[in-house]
Amino acid sequence: MHIMEGFLPWQWCLVWWIIALPCLMLGIYQLKKVLASDREALPLLGVTGGFIFVLSSLKLPSVTGSCSHPTGTGLSTISFGPWITAVVCAIVLLFQSLFLAHGGLSVLGANIVSMGIVGPLVGYGIYRLLRDTSVNIYITVFLVCAIADLFTYVMTSLELALAYPAETGGVVSSFILFMAIFAITQIPLAIVEGVVLALVFKYIVALKPDILIRLKIFSENQINAARADT
Amino acid sequence: MAYKYTLEILAGIAIIAFCALFLYTSATMSGAEFAGSDNVGSGLVAELSGIPLENFQPLIPQWEPPSGEIESALFALQAAVGGILVGGVFGFWMGQKKRT
Repeated sequence: MHIMEGFLPWQWCLVWWIIALPCLMLGIYQLKKVLASDREALPLLGVTGGFIFVLSSLKLPSVTGSCSHPTGTGLSTISFGPWITAVVCAIVLLFQSLFLAHGGLSVLGANIVSMGIVGPLVGYGIYRLLRDTSVNIYITVFLVCAIADLFTYVMTSLELALAYPAETGGVVSSFILFMAIFAITQIPLAIVEGVVLALVFKYIVALKPDILIRLKIFSENQINAARADT
Repeated sequence: MAYKYTLEILAGIAIIAFCALFLYTSATMSGAEFAGSDNVGSGLVAELSGIPLENFQPLIPQWEPPSGEIESALFALQAAVGGILVGGVFGFWMGQKKRT
């Protein structure tokens, strides 16, 4: 999902940076608050952030004959919300811009918006929608992870389409062209990511159910039901 | 208890299906280079804007890994950091659970 350095006009770089910065500041503020209020939150942040590090480094082949990588942002989104997730993503994306020539400092804002903000925000919406229903919590986790991953790439397509509208058909038709490259490639990856992270969530539930209840990620009843099932 | 390993089995099936899909694509699709979608996207940018690919210069000067080897080393480093975090915390939790 990286937009490469130099491939966005500076005006658009500025727009995405202006959107990204307040979100990051909110994320840092929330992060300080949650870590100060509960010491057990730090290990959970380590696990959910760790998966962003691991999964975003795996470039996997897909049905379109090109490679892409999962984002791994779903678990962190469920546990800490989109703003803190944006902070973790910003760290990963900064590393990739500085040392891997994936993305770059001028387009970092745009990449943070797609991977760290819009993807997780859509995922978080799904989580809030399903949390208080009777839907199995692992299905919720699966959907959040897969959709956060997919919408990261939808947003990348939109960012590029806005900057490069097609001569005929404008933004819409170039959006479709970019979607064909990014989003279609991503569908199988998003599904696998969703299933794998749901499995990881099962192990978190098995080992550390109390932190999930204390941070009000899922209710005590839901966690107990999930533990009884497995 | 009937559903004890459902998620493990589903994850296994998903990964196997993913590998099978890759093998099928690489065997049947002509011209599948498995380049990064980032680069394919950049190619489309060049096409849509009518500016040749090599004219896109970084706005902010950027260090590039001199070779694919070094790039893969740095990616492995990133994954290792993540792996240590995940493994370390799960180990810590398991220890905590044992003590109580």
